[in-house]
Amino acid sequence: MTTTEFGIVYAVHIITSHFGSVASKVCECLLRRGPLSSREISRLAESDINHSKVKDILYLLIQHNCVQAFSIEPPDGSESKAIVQYIALFSNILHRARYNKFSSKVVNEELGSQCSGVLDGLLSNGRLTLEQLIDRDRDSKKQMGSEAIRDSLQKLVAARFVERVPSPEPVLGNKDEGPAQKKRGAKPSKIFKEPESLEERILEAATPVDAIRFPFIFEQGSSSTVADDDSNISEGKRKQPEVDYTSGPSNEVIWRPNFEELIRRLRHKACVEIVKERRDEGCANVMKAMLEVGRSQEKKAKTDKSVRTPIFFSVPMSMGSIYEELIKTDAGREMTQERVEACLEQLSATSSYLPAFVIESDGSYIVDFKSIISVAQKDEMESVVMRRYGKEAFRMFRYLSQEDRFVETDKIADAALTEKKDTPQILLKMWKDGYLHMQKLAVTGVYIPFLLWKVNKLIVSRQMLDEMYHASLNLSLRLTHETDSEKELLLLPMEKLEGALKERRNKYRAKSVLLTSARFKLDDAIMLFHDF
Amino acid sequence: MSTRRRPAAPRSSSSGMTENEKKILGFIRSKQGMGATKYEITAGTSIQQALVTKATTSLKKSKLIKEVSNKGGKHFLAVEFEPCKELQGGDWYVDGALDVSMIEDLKEICVNILERLKQKVVTLEVICSCFQKASRDEYKLSRDQTKVILDNLVLDNVIMEVKSNGSSEHSALRIGEVCYKLIGKKSGGGEARDGAFASIPCGACPHIGLCTPDGAISPTTCVYYQKWLDF
Repeated sequence: MTTTEFGIVYAVHIITSHFGSVASKVCECLLRRGPLSSREISRLAESDINHSKVKDILYLLIQHNCVQAFSIEPPDGSESKAIVQYIALFSNILHRARYNKFSSKVVNEELGSQCSGVLDGLLSNGRLTLEQLIDRDRDSKKQMGSEAIRDSLQKLVAARFVERVPSPEPVLGNKDEGPAQKKRGAKPSKIFKEPESLEERILEAATPVDAIRFPFIFEQGSSSTVADDDSNISEGKRKQPEVDYTSGPSNEVIWRPNFEELIRRLRHKACVEIVKERRDEGCANVMKAMLEVGRSQEKKAKTDKSVRTPIFFSVPMSMGSIYEELIKTDAGREMTQERVEACLEQLSATSSYLPAFVIESDGSYIVDFKSIISVAQKDEMESVVMRRYGKEAFRMFRYLSQEDRFVETDKIADAALTEKKDTPQILLKMWKDGYLHMQKLAVTGVYIPFLLWKVNKLIVSRQMLDEMYHASLNLSLRLTHETDSEKELLLLPMEKLEGALKERRNKYRAKSVLLTSARFKLDDAIMLFHDF
Repeated sequence: MSTRRRPAAPRSSSSGMTENEKKILGFIRSKQGMGATKYEITAGTSIQQALVTKATTSLKKSKLIKEVSNKGGKHFLAVEFEPCKELQGGDWYVDGALDVSMIEDLKEICVNILERLKQKVVTLEVICSCFQKASRDEYKLSRDQTKVILDNLVLDNVIMEVKSNGSSEHSALRIGEVCYKLIGKKSGGGEARDGAFASIPCGACPHIGLCTPDGAISPTTCVYYQKWLDF
């Protein structure tokens, strides 16, 4: 999905909050205009920023994984040099607003507080070597010790929450590789998503093979694994970068958070939650086991880059492997095989109310992520329609979603049991805000054309996503406003406050908690539409 | 001799009418409870629109035809006919307006039936038979009318429609038979989540399209935010 207007505004706000307004101008230039060279940014950015400053900011944003450099191979026979361009990584910028989720909800739960402490270091600094992590730990109040840091980093890499940094300046071929030309080696499975956009091509070219990206061997010493020189990073062509920011001072591996895996775990957690809400605890336990089985099977299969992380479906798995995984947990041990089979049957069932969450085929089971996520997306859409436009609009919206085709106004009124004279106004309101698609149908002999209405899920999703970015920005701005309004009060120590001042301080705290937690939950909804 | 004029005798259906009026009246009568619009009369009688307008005005004055308005426009009916349900809007319309309170009452009855029978699978026939035993005549719904009310409850996301799949819960039913269940954990159906976006002021705001960070409508000046944070 291309970035929406408020997506850009929100991303720029995040960069401003974290790196200041000059950095945000560079970022905004890239987000609005697409990939540019540093000279072009210097020329085009609002309030001309000199070239040297632009380069500094670009290095800062690259350090923090918000920008990726690349170049395109000049045409054959051309004498021109490939120009380095920069592309803003919109998703990574948005991830900055959810770093605490990666730490607390994913890594802390799975690997413990030491690992989440190491991840926090990588998240706040963008990318670090092991040595830098150890140095950082020495300066902190609660020291973990170098052994614990090394051990935690190894666990994080093994779990793929941390990866080696990608190639600093991958070179893309200038020929457009169509699907017919892409078949090198094993044909990618149809259940995996093919890279399409320029950003995806760039990231694909920059990402090393798994064996290098998540090195298995992890020895002590400064050259802990194969160093980050160009020959090891990518299969594609490389050129000497202008500044070598791939390796640390002693040629160590540079590590950074692997957002792909962190988001994947959040998606899995969301799927388990959705199954728990819509089915029951038993089905949720079975789903959790299936996701775990899927992850270990994918890990074994992933020896090269051509096997990408599945987006829409899991790998197929047997009932036996699901049950074996399930009984590793306390809750799973209470479930008999019959109960598990019943849950799988429930998860595979389709009704007009819920789609199937699992596909059963010849005794194998596949998790249908798209189906599970679509249920939560539908809930979000319908909740907004209900709150913003009312019960009648809600019925109309649900009717049109079911029909999934153009329907005439009167038919909608009949189905939704609403007043025929009021129905057009309700539909027009939703249409004006982008929640419905409308077409006029002129019929011979009828003076007023018929109006036909439809819910176009892609258009509504995009509209909602834009509004959610807008809302997230609003929550952040409101929190800043509340904090600014009480900045003098906040300077006073809490224990010295009494009476009205204490009450005001408590009220500020309650507002702050409400705004922060609302933004936290809204971000879950944003991930449903953008990341999952 | 008196100079007072005798009151004019009322025009009968056959006397004092022009040829056009007779033709138009005949056409309208043929449509019975459905009536006819001006366009339909023009097309059906091949009489010019202006003359149709003149004739219908005259016939209305003579109380030979009446006018019924609905979404489709004005319909003319012969006085001896009652407008049919389609003209009034449908089964659920009374005097041209949707009978919202009756529809809500019928929906509540359906929900009560499903609550009473929540351990069992409830088919359309079961609900229909409950309505047939209703004390009020207007609540004695036909099968089709019962289906309309249930479909509306499905759109309200209060109940769900499921098809019998032969499992133990549906053992007494044919496979593929439609049945109904209340939505909600207590009834054994799942629950839709409250949207995260809908639960904040921006989600419900009708002016989100006009809101900007520094504009007249902004998060710092927003009255909805003010109310939300005023606790």
